[in-house]
Amino acid sequence: MSALNPATNPFGNFIKQRWALAALVIAAALVVLGALALSGTPPLQVLSDLVKSSLGGARPLTGTFRELTPLLISGIAVFLALKAGLFNIGVEGQFTVGGLACAMVALKIPGIAGIVAGIVAGMVFGALWALPAGLIKAYKGGHEVITTIMLNNVAMLLTTALVAGPWKAPNDQSPTTTSLEQASFLPNLIGPKNIPGSAGLFEVGELQVSSGLLIGLIVAIALWYWLKRTVAGYELQAVGANPTAARFAGIDHRRVTVKAMVWSGAIGGLAGAVQVLAVEHRFYPQLASGYGFDALGVAMLAGATPLGLIPSGFLFAVLNKGGTSIQVLDQVPKGITYVILGLLIIIAAAVRYRKTAGSNG
Amino acid sequence: MASMLESVVLSTISLSSPLILAAMGGFTSERSGVINIALEGKMLSAACAAYIATLFWHSPWLALGVGIAAAIVMSVLHWLLTQQYRIDQIISGMAINLLAAGGTNYFLNKYQDPNATNLPVLPMSLFWIVGFVLPLLLWLYTRFGRGGLRLQAVGSDPDKARMMGVQPLTTRLLCLVATGVFTGIAGTMIFTSAGQFTEGMTAGRGYIALAALILGGWRPVPAMLACIAFGFFQAMQLQLQGTKIAGADIPAEVWSSLPYLVTVIALAGFLGRSRSPAGLGKL
Amino acid sequence: MSYAVAMTGISKRFGAVRALDAVDLNVEPGNIHAVVGENGAGKTTLMRALYGAMQFDSGTIEVEGKPVRFANSKQAIAAGIGMVSQHYGIIGALSCLENLMLGAEGGPIINPGAAAAEATKLATRMGFHFDWFKSAEGLSPAGAQKLEILKLLWRKAKIMILDEPTAMLSPADGEALFASLKQLTDEGATVILVTHRLPEVLDHCSTVTVLRAGKRVAEKAVKDTNARELAQLIVGGAIAEAPQRAASTGGEVLKIENVVVRGRRGEDALKQVSLDVKAGEIVGIAGVDGSGQRELFHAISGILRVRTGSITLEGQDITSESTSRRLRQGLRIIPEDRHEEAVIEDWSLEENSALGLQRLEPFAKGGVINAPARHEAATAIADRFATKHGGLKLPMQSLSGGNQQRFVAARALHLAPKLLLAFQPARGLDLNSTTRVYEGIRQACQQGTAALVVSFDLDELLEYCDRVVAMNGGELLAPPAGKLLDRDTIGRLMVGAE
Repeated sequence: MSALNPATNPFGNFIKQRWALAALVIAAALVVLGALALSGTPPLQVLSDLVKSSLGGARPLTGTFRELTPLLISGIAVFLALKAGLFNIGVEGQFTVGGLACAMVALKIPGIAGIVAGIVAGMVFGALWALPAGLIKAYKGGHEVITTIMLNNVAMLLTTALVAGPWKAPNDQSPTTTSLEQASFLPNLIGPKNIPGSAGLFEVGELQVSSGLLIGLIVAIALWYWLKRTVAGYELQAVGANPTAARFAGIDHRRVTVKAMVWSGAIGGLAGAVQVLAVEHRFYPQLASGYGFDALGVAMLAGATPLGLIPSGFLFAVLNKGGTSIQVLDQVPKGITYVILGLLIIIAAAVRYRKTAGSNG
Repeated sequence: MASMLESVVLSTISLSSPLILAAMGGFTSERSGVINIALEGKMLSAACAAYIATLFWHSPWLALGVGIAAAIVMSVLHWLLTQQYRIDQIISGMAINLLAAGGTNYFLNKYQDPNATNLPVLPMSLFWIVGFVLPLLLWLYTRFGRGGLRLQAVGSDPDKARMMGVQPLTTRLLCLVATGVFTGIAGTMIFTSAGQFTEGMTAGRGYIALAALILGGWRPVPAMLACIAFGFFQAMQLQLQGTKIAGADIPAEVWSSLPYLVTVIALAGFLGRSRSPAGLGKL
Repeated sequence: MSYAVAMTGISKRFGAVRALDAVDLNVEPGNIHAVVGENGAGKTTLMRALYGAMQFDSGTIEVEGKPVRFANSKQAIAAGIGMVSQHYGIIGALSCLENLMLGAEGGPIINPGAAAAEATKLATRMGFHFDWFKSAEGLSPAGAQKLEILKLLWRKAKIMILDEPTAMLSPADGEALFASLKQLTDEGATVILVTHRLPEVLDHCSTVTVLRAGKRVAEKAVKDTNARELAQLIVGGAIAEAPQRAASTGGEVLKIENVVVRGRRGEDALKQVSLDVKAGEIVGIAGVDGSGQRELFHAISGILRVRTGSITLEGQDITSESTSRRLRQGLRIIPEDRHEEAVIEDWSLEENSALGLQRLEPFAKGGVINAPARHEAATAIADRFATKHGGLKLPMQSLSGGNQQRFVAARALHLAPKLLLAFQPARGLDLNSTTRVYEGIRQACQQGTAALVVSFDLDELLEYCDRVVAMNGGELLAPPAGKLLDRDTIGRLMVGAE
């Protein structure tokens, strides 16, 4: 019983003991290795297949970068809200709504103007989808996790109703919009010149990288600068770290909360818009396919600065891309990658807690 | 007309009972101070475990036991992460949902048997009875049970409760085991009603249950009423599919999204304020 | 005869701080035993050790002659020890009866009717009356205190620890409390009273233990000592120099006229409060905690909305301005709760140095942070009151509470404030640091700052302020001219006796 006893094991001590964290890591490793062993393929073989299929050459890398783009941009959305002390679990919904808005605009306006207008529309609708969560949190104290979860479901259902009904592509069986004209595609940043439609600004063999990734990198760097160097960024982080102290420092925590949620939603919508313009070239209800949820993990693993989102997003992209391949190559169910991600999030959170608790003596 | 009424009532009962069971699991956990967005994952684990147990042993009672055991394991893990490792309660809830989604996918791929049909299952009425009696029992327990009083005390102010000799850690462990039992029954029920396990078959019911709990102000009987209302929405949706209202064709999805919208509106304060337990999320 | 409680050589470290250093405490049964000392002397820590709420590093405890070591409060309660903490243990979400029973329900099934009958019997014995099924949320401080006493009796506690029980009580309620305690000790209970109010010790206790900086410096029979000696023992040899007073005052900086503010329960927490503060003067606000000081402070800060009346800062009406605007106009705040309101613990000292000043030059220009200037400012702030730190890049939480307070006070004085609002600016500081902080405020005032200081320690205010006003029940009461620093007059105003 002594482990359950708060006096002999006062809060904080358990996790401060080195073995507690070690036990967590070992248990996690055993779970993963055990699952791999059970599936009948040697773990090392699985690992090498995973790496080969995600990093081993132009084709695998193209797939990994394709995964990285939505993961990175939605990761930024989550990260920004997190800095203001908000869990935006609604990126999945903002992604979906933003994607649909962008597709509808880009279908109406062809060419560059449509790309720009589509991105703006995606951001605006993503922001609008996050707005109720921000307002309810700031003025009514309703937890943003609950509101955003609810709005995710509403986003899914309503966009399905729209693309199964009035906005459905006439010649398609499943609910989806019509596909975009090629002029409305977001061009590649890197791509082979000899394949029509894939040509990019740069050419690195067969590798294709969409300029959507560039958008993501620019937004990540801009956010990094904004948080580090501007008063507004400072104030947003103050609200996230200690809302009461922020009030005494003359910061309107309500406005900051709404603003953070709205911008987070706008970036979530941007992720959806880029996915439509760069990858899918149409909207269908499964567009987000869990990127908004994976983004929570990306943001959790990123650490203190938005630049950390880049390696963390890359790790998720590798697991996403490689996970699909090992299912085919090694008969290892893809579910194993979710388990790995879940365990990584747990370990990262435990390490982070230990770090902040440790300096307290 | 009578038959339509009958079928609406029946499907309301069968659609709302898993919600009620899950919401009660949410009640014991959240009222004792542990935010629980992991109801979904716990139910999913239970449904998958019950399915695999049925494949192996062909015993519906054993399947129920295994389903409950699986949800308890997830719940105790939840306790360990939030109360011992002190990981943020939302992050740990998310992680549990991820583990459940990944784990069930893994086991399903390993063990599923598409040829196994007509699996032996428990009668649905059993789950209905449990679902509709449980909230009343929990209400009585909070009024007249020592454990019920301690659960509320820990959920309201863990520090003060500790000063009165009530151990928040132990209380919450018991509460989370209870969450495991209730979500375990709920998950087994979802498997039972389909007679099969499919990936992600809980389909967001854990979140609807959480919404009902909030709408019910973290009280068992009002939460049950909210679950019944949600079940009724769904039952009406099944009934009204394809029918026109005021000349307009209302897509089924609009009906499905009503419970979520109602929850958002309630959170915005338009349906009166519900007070969350003061110690929610506090260690 | 054995002691009711004998604690011997109790030591406890928190990180580098020695909170308790081989402390002894011997309590005779059937008595009220006082434990006195300054803030941070270790009184509460010692009591938490006895109550099993905190594990100490070394030492032994005997209760009624038997050696004990409590792993948690549950075991201490079982051994007949009860504790009422400073902020009370009443849970507002539960009913009075549920609060009474929590942790001692007498079995897995509760029978509310029978329990309420028993509770009423207990209350009648003490001359109290409770509506047992009502929520405990609406209890007054005195009601909560009474319920706490009944909680001890319900658990059949023989040894009762009361930590600053009168801090939130009016003098009349305080007297009633001591009458109850007298009745309990006559019936055989032993009371340990933690307090920093000497009159309580001299009037009601039989023995007193004095703690200073984690050490026991004396244990005396009350009849063998007096207030002067006890005060000397409590503060040690350090004797502060006679503080300066304002040589002259300038124009009106703060003008508050007929301000009314709503409290949390919808009552008027401030009733037509008016006050002027001039450049160069330090005005103290005395009063029992909860008399409206907090609301006044928040109204001037712009955190609470003013219902009627007006607040003017240097001739400008700021009644409905945001806190941010007020800071821009020269308001500076030393908040009450350092940990919750004044710092961000995870952030570095340097980042914390800008908190509240973040929009002002030199910390920022055109919305962009000026990092070199901020570093320079942080250095100056840390040096001002000799904040001990291991580097400006380290997180605030690496500092002890006293050092954090030094940093917070210095920050508020950094950019030549027009109006300084300080709520317990010396909270958790020893006497010498207290003097330094007030000297810092005085220096700022000599350059034209107006300062308004809230403290629950009347003597501290009388020592450092130019004049002291009192608050009672949301009203602000100023002593007549000529008695601006008269202890008796202000003391009577504080309790509404005049």
